[in-house]
Amino acid sequence: MIEIKGITKRYGKHLYALKGINASLKERVTTVIGRNGAGKTTLVRILSTQLLPTSGTATIEGYDIIKDTKKVRNLISSIPQESQLIGILSPLEQMQLYLMAKGFSAQQAKAESKEALDQLELYDFRNAPSDTLSGGMKRKVFVAMALAAKSPVIFLDEPTTGLDPLSRIEVWSAIKRLTSKIILTTHYMEEAQELSNEVVVIDQGNIMTHGTIQHLLSTFNGKMRAEKLDGEEYDIKIANVAIKYIEKDKVDEFISKGYDIKRINLDDIFLSKGVMLES
Amino acid sequence: MNPKFILYFAWYYGFFVILRGPSYLVASLSLPLALLFIVTIFAHGSLVAISFAVAGGPIAIVAANSINGAADAAFFRIQIRIQDLYVATNITSQDYMFALSLSYLVFSLPGIVLYAVLGSYLKVFSVESALPIIGVLVLLTLTISNLSFIIAGLLKHIRNVWGITAILSIIMTVLPPTFYPYTDIPMNLIYVLSISPVTPAAVLVQGIVGKEPLLYSMLFILLIETVVLTLLGRKFIRWRE
Repeated sequence: MIEIKGITKRYGKHLYALKGINASLKERVTTVIGRNGAGKTTLVRILSTQLLPTSGTATIEGYDIIKDTKKVRNLISSIPQESQLIGILSPLEQMQLYLMAKGFSAQQAKAESKEALDQLELYDFRNAPSDTLSGGMKRKVFVAMALAAKSPVIFLDEPTTGLDPLSRIEVWSAIKRLTSKIILTTHYMEEAQELSNEVVVIDQGNIMTHGTIQHLLSTFNGKMRAEKLDGEEYDIKIANVAIKYIEKDKVDEFISKGYDIKRINLDDIFLSKGVMLES
Repeated sequence: MNPKFILYFAWYYGFFVILRGPSYLVASLSLPLALLFIVTIFAHGSLVAISFAVAGGPIAIVAANSINGAADAAFFRIQIRIQDLYVATNITSQDYMFALSLSYLVFSLPGIVLYAVLGSYLKVFSVESALPIIGVLVLLTLTISNLSFIIAGLLKHIRNVWGITAILSIIMTVLPPTFYPYTDIPMNLIYVLSISPVTPAAVLVQGIVGKEPLLYSMLFILLIETVVLTLLGRKFIRWRE
């Protein structure tokens, strides 16, 4: 379990990336959702011991990220946002180096790397220079690192950002092979829905809402989303799109007013908790 | 300390880069070889002048490759985030810095071997001088690499690194007495130039090969610079920010 205790991160005197957040992340896969600059990466970097908080702390499986850094690092694997492979080295070489940094012997690192590459269907590319791989394959190599390291806790910071839909599905299928506890950040709602059991919505350094997907969706009480360009009735307006959450018995009425009706999904949690706050 | 990681990293990122990107190797050799060519022309083939340029060649190669390491270190930290990947593992910033430094030394090996052959042919280097020269080159790699980590740590944008390393590479390899006798310039100036670790290294090598008097004070300066820059490098590398 990961317990976040009042973590604040401040840059300079007034710029707050995180504002004293608290949370218990209990489910196996937790997604931290938020817009760009919401504080997702800062949170993951702090939890994965890459960044020190200004105040507060967190525990991972009971170990404090500040006091027990070594023990925490033994437990985790962290794939940073926008991390890329060293183009001139092969996936196998880079996985071997990563696993040796995690404390594996050279032989063990090689064997585990090969096995993980095989599991993610990258074995045939193990010796190719990394700059010849596609974007999706490169991200899969990082997932393979986490898979091979067999760490109990894995942090994946925006693992599919910038990938085309096909590559994204490939990376998702790779992530699904991981059996560890996973903390994933993304700004793709469908990714959170596809991969996780628990969602933390973060905006402007605050946790807006947190819970299992089922629980968060249930807060809409079976409502539907009606949206229309330049619509006059709305709960939220984004650019010129009016969004109104309506009871099911009002669907026909809103259709007649020219609204499109959609089922509630994670987008709505994000919209209602994050964007609505700002607007 | 994780020596296995350091050695494997240095081998992969030092040696394999030579095999897979030989143009980088040629680029790193081009400046010292060009300067050797110019010295040969201007000295009208004088063996004395050439031997100084040959003695300074390995110093110039090691210094240039290590200072270019700033580009690597900045690229790994800012652009491809490899440094972040390693922060959350069991290695320390020291392991990471040693690994990168050693990879620059491995990358410098072909150039050092080329100069060793040339120097042996011209009777500049001897078997007895080999070990102390290697020691000086190792210290120089450490000092300049750490200077690179400091530069990389201070940078916010990757694009600045190319210009800075190009300028420093020239300042560090051409201005100090790398290619000319250190006795040709006033002693005070030697101490001023010692702000670049290349100066004490070059002066020491000229003393070791018996071309000039051996200045032991330069060993002291080089050791101090190694310690100070290593400590500063650890601080500036931004391992856990």
